[in-house]
Amino acid sequence: MNNLESISSEIREAIIESGGKEAFECYECGMCMSLCPWFQVGNVQFPCYRTPQNVRLGAVMASEEKEELAKEIAELFRCVACDNCKAFCPRHVDMGDIMRAVRRILAEYDSLPKELKDVASKFYNVGNPQGDAPEKRNDWATGLDLPIYKSGMEYGYWACCLPAYDARLKNIAISTAKILNTAKVSFGLVDTNVWCCSETLRNFGAEKVFKELAQRNVTAIKEAGINKILVTSPHCYTTFKNEYPELGAEFKPTHTVQLFAELIKEKRIVPQKPIKKKVFYHDPCTLGRQNGIYDEPRTVLQSIPGLKLVENPIFSREYSVCCGGGAGGLWQDWPKEERIASVRVKQVKDTGAEILATACPYCILMFDDSIKTMNLDIEVKDVSELLVDAL
Amino acid sequence: MSCIMVLAESRQGNLRDITFEMLAKANELANQMNLKVNVLCLGKNNESMAKNLSAYAYEVFSIDDELLANFNSEIYRKTISKVAQEHKPSLFFIGHTAFGIDLAPSLAHELNLPLITDCIEIIREDSKIVATRQMYSGKLNARVLFKEQSGMMTIRSGTFKPAELKLSGNIVTKPIPEEFKTGHASNFLGYEEVPTTGIDITKADIIVAIGRGIKEQKNMPAVEDFAKTIGGELACTRPVIDAGWMPKDRQVGSSGKTVKPKLYIALGISGAFQHISGMKSAQTIVAVNKDQNAPIFSVAHYGIVGDLLKIVPMLKDKIKEMKAGA
Amino acid sequence: MNILVGLKRVPDTAEAAVIPDSTGKDIIKDRLTFSLNEADNYALEEALLLKEKYGGTVTLLSFGPKAFEEVLRMGMAKGADTAIRLWDEKFTNADYFTVGKVLATACQTLPYDLILTGCMATDDGYAAVGLTMAAILGLPHATYVSKIEIQNSKAKIRRELEGGLLEVKEINLPAVLAVQTGINTPRYSSILGIKRAAAKPITVLDCAGLNLADPDFLAKTILEKLYIPIVESKAEFLEGAPDEVSTQLAKIFKEKGVL
Ligand SMILES: Cc1cc2nc3c(=O)[nH]c(=O)nc-3n(C[C@H](O)[C@H](O)[C@H](O)COP(=O)(O)OP(=O)(O)OC[C@H]3O[C@@H](n4cnc5c(N)ncnc54)[C@H](O)[C@@H]3O)c2cc1C
Ligand code: SF4
Ligand code: SF4
Repeated sequence: MNNLESISSEIREAIIESGGKEAFECYECGMCMSLCPWFQVGNVQFPCYRTPQNVRLGAVMASEEKEELAKEIAELFRCVACDNCKAFCPRHVDMGDIMRAVRRILAEYDSLPKELKDVASKFYNVGNPQGDAPEKRNDWATGLDLPIYKSGMEYGYWACCLPAYDARLKNIAISTAKILNTAKVSFGLVDTNVWCCSETLRNFGAEKVFKELAQRNVTAIKEAGINKILVTSPHCYTTFKNEYPELGAEFKPTHTVQLFAELIKEKRIVPQKPIKKKVFYHDPCTLGRQNGIYDEPRTVLQSIPGLKLVENPIFSREYSVCCGGGAGGLWQDWPKEERIASVRVKQVKDTGAEILATACPYCILMFDDSIKTMNLDIEVKDVSELLVDAL
Repeated sequence: MSCIMVLAESRQGNLRDITFEMLAKANELANQMNLKVNVLCLGKNNESMAKNLSAYAYEVFSIDDELLANFNSEIYRKTISKVAQEHKPSLFFIGHTAFGIDLAPSLAHELNLPLITDCIEIIREDSKIVATRQMYSGKLNARVLFKEQSGMMTIRSGTFKPAELKLSGNIVTKPIPEEFKTGHASNFLGYEEVPTTGIDITKADIIVAIGRGIKEQKNMPAVEDFAKTIGGELACTRPVIDAGWMPKDRQVGSSGKTVKPKLYIALGISGAFQHISGMKSAQTIVAVNKDQNAPIFSVAHYGIVGDLLKIVPMLKDKIKEMKAGA
Repeated sequence: MNILVGLKRVPDTAEAAVIPDSTGKDIIKDRLTFSLNEADNYALEEALLLKEKYGGTVTLLSFGPKAFEEVLRMGMAKGADTAIRLWDEKFTNADYFTVGKVLATACQTLPYDLILTGCMATDDGYAAVGLTMAAILGLPHATYVSKIEIQNSKAKIRRELEGGLLEVKEINLPAVLAVQTGINTPRYSSILGIKRAAAKPITVLDCAGLNLADPDFLAKTILEKLYIPIVESKAEFLEGAPDEVSTQLAKIFKEKGVL
C-alpha cells in the first residue's frame, strides 16, 4: 500500500499544520491498534493502524489510485473518536488529533463519505442533524410548562439535538425536566436560537461548520446570561468544557448525572419505587475516558431500590467499549458483521443484564439498533429515565 | 403570429403519450390566441401515425424516410428547422424527454428561438405567454417568460391531460431534403434493454417499502404480490437488508437511496430519521403501522393504524377490482 | 486526448428548505452549503478516466463568480490539469443561453477533442447549457449519456431513454457529451492532490478577455418570479376495519390518479 513513491514531505507538513504533530511522539508499540474497538470487528483494517508512522512518512491518503484511495478514506473515517487509543498510549499520543487533522484536509475538498457530507449540510442548514426546523428545538417540552432561561435562574438546560427532535429520545429530556422539578432545581430552557454543539462535526473533519455553529452558540449563551449549563449529552459536555473556551465561552457545563448524584446526596430527591432489575451501566467514551465521570451515574443507579448493578470489570469504566456513534459513526452504516455496538451489546448480554443503562443519546440509538438486529431482550435506558421511574 | 407547432414523439413507430398531452395544451392555447396547431411527424411509414394526429391539428407535416425511422437529433434538427422556417411558429412544443431534450437546444439555436425547458404549465396572461417550471427538484416553481414574442418549450411528461379532439387536419407529406441524407456526424446503432437486475428504485413512480414489521421472510410473497398489482417497485429499511431478504440497492434512507416517487407506501416501518431522510419528499406517502404513535405518521399524508399482514392482501384485491373496472 | 469539462457550483438543497429571497429571482443562500453539481462530478470523473486511458489533458471551465473556484479546485485536486473561470459583472441575469455562449466562446480558444458536461444542474434543472454550447460551436452532441467508448475519431455512446431502454449511437469527435449520473464512480481527492490544487493558478476571463461583445451573450428568457408551490402536508388517518380502510385507500389512489 505505502510504497516509497508515495512518501511525501508535503503530506506530512499538511497534516502537521492541520494539527497532527503528535505523530512524532509515537514509538510504534502497537498498543493503540490492539485497543481500537475496530480490532474486535472482523475483516477491518483498523483506522489507527500505523497512522502515526504514516503521518511521519507522509504516506496517508497518498495513493493517487482511485480504488486504493477510496478504501483508505473509508477506513480513516471509521475512527469514532472513542479515545481508547489515547487513554492507554504509553507516549500519550492524541490519536484523535491526528485523525481530525487528516479528516479536516479531506473534508474541505468534499473528500469524505457522502453520508457525512450530507449530514454536515443539514447541520449548517438548520443546526441539527435531523434537518428539522430550529424553532422546534424546544417542542419536546410542549405541555410541560417549562420556562426559558432568565437571569437569576441557576441552570440553563440544554437538551441536545437528539432528544430535542427524536421521537424515542425526547423521553430523556422530559424525564430530566421532571426530576429537576421534583428537586426544585432552578432552571430554564436554553432558547431556540442555539444550534447543535457540533462536537461530532469537528471530529469528522467539518471544521468550518463546527467553528461557525459553535461561535453562534457561544454568543447566544453569553447574551442569555447563562453561566451554568446543564447537559444531557456527554458530547455537548466535552466540547463545551474542553473546546468552547478557545472560542471565548465562559460558561461551565454540568452533566445531568453529576447533578442527579448531588441531588441524591443532598436528599433533594429520594428514589423510593423499586426497579427490580439487573442493570449494566455503559460508560460513554465522552463522559468516562474523556472526562473521568465514572462514579456519579453509578451513585444514581445504586440509589434506586431493588436495582442491581452488574459490572464487567474488564469492560467497564476506562475499559468501556465505544457504541460506535461518535465522530459521525451515527450516520455511517456498516454491514451487520462490522458494528462496534454489537460487540458491546454482546459483552452486556454476557453479564445477564436486563437493562442497558447509559447517559448518552448517541449510545441509546446505536444500542437500540443492535439489540433489535441481534434479536435480544435487553432494554436500553438513559439514567434519567430509570431515575424518574423510581421517584 | 402564425401557429403553434408540436413535434410528435414516437418510438419504433408508436406515438408516445407526451404527444397527445402537448397537443391538448397546444389546442387550448391556440383557441385563446386565435392560432392554428400544426404537428410535425417524423418517422418511417408514417401513414397511420399521421392519420391519428390529424384529429388534433390543422395541418400534419409528415416526413417519411428510412433515415427518420429512429430518432437522431442531427437529422431531425435539420429536417425540422427547414419546415419550421417556412411556417414560423410562435410557439414550438417538444417533449421534455430523452428525445426532446437531445434536440431542443440545438434546434432552438438554429431557429434563433429562445428556449424554456421542462415546463409544467403554460398560460396566456395579458397577451404574454408565461411558463411555469420547477426548480430545486420541485421545491420551488418559477415563472419564466420569453424576451421575444415567440419561443420553444419542452414539456414535462404527464403534466397535461390528453383531450379527445375531432379536427380533421390536412396531412402534408414532405420529403427529407436530399442534402440532409449524407454526411452525418452521428449515427443510430440500435436499442438495448437495461439489464433487469439492479432495478433503480430512485426512478420508480410507485414504491412499496417494507420494514421490520414484515416480521418473517414467509410474509414477503404477500407484499411482492401487492407491489406487482399496483405496478410498484419494492424497497425497504435496513433491518430487511440485514435479514438478507432484499439486496442492498433496495434500501431507502440516509445510507441507502433517496427516493422521490409519486406514491410511497410504507408498510411496518417505524420511521427512524435515517429512513425518513430518504423518502420524505415523495409526493404521496401512505403509512401502515400497528403503532399509532410511530414517527412515520409525521411525514405520511395518509395513515392506517393496523396490521399490515391483514391490510395488504385486502388492499391488493381492492386495487385489482378497481383496475379491472377502469 | 484533450478534454474540456464544464463544472457548476450548486447549493445542496436536497434536504434543505429553499426560500425565495426578496428579489423573488433567487433564493436565500446564507444557510446553504455548496457542492459540485452532481452530474458534473460524473462528467469530471469520465474525463479523468479517459485521460488515464488515452493521455492528454483535462481543462475545467466554470461560469460563475469567485466562489465557483472552489469546484474548480476540487476538480484539479482529483487530477484535472488546468482551470478557467469565466465571469463578468455583465453576466448577471444570465440564462442557459448566456452560459452556453460564454462557455462556447472560451472553448473556441482552446484545443479539444471532446467536451463533457453534466446532463442537468440540480438547482435550475434546465438541462440545456451543454447542448446550447454544442449548437453554438456547431458540434455533434448527445445528452443523458451513460457510457462512452472511444473508437479512433469516433465515440460509441449509450444514452438513457425512458422506461429502461438505452440508445446506442456513434458520434464523430470532437463532440459535446452531456453525462448522466451513475455513468461511473466519482473518486475522492488525495491529500497530495489537494495540496497541488491549492497551489495552482486559475485563469479568469471576463468579456474583454473573451472578446465578447455586449448583445451576443444576453439572456433570451426572463425568470420573473420564484415561489413555493402549495402542497398538502397533514396526515389523514383512515379508520375502520381492514376491509373498509382498503376501500377508502383504493378510492384515494384513484382520485389522485397515482395508479
Ligand atoms: C448508522 C446508521 C445508519 C442507518 N441507515 C439507515 C438507512 O439508510 N435506512 C434505514 O431504513 N435505516 C437505517 N438505519 C436503521 C434505523 O436506525 C432503524 O433501525 C431502521 O430504519 C428501522 O427499521 P424499521 O422501521 O423497519 O424497523 P422498526 O424500527 O423495528 O419498526 C418496525 C415497525 O413496524 C411496526 N409493525 C410491527 N408489526 C406490524 C404489523 N404486523 N403491521 C403493521 N406494522 C407493524 C412497528 O409498530 C414498528 O413501528 C441506520 C442505522 C444506523 C445506526
Ligand atoms: S499506542 Fe501510542 S506509541 Fe503505541 S503505536 Fe499507538 S500511538 Fe504509537
Ligand atoms: S479513537 Fe477509538 S476508534 Fe478512533 S482510532 Fe482510537 S481507538 Fe480507534
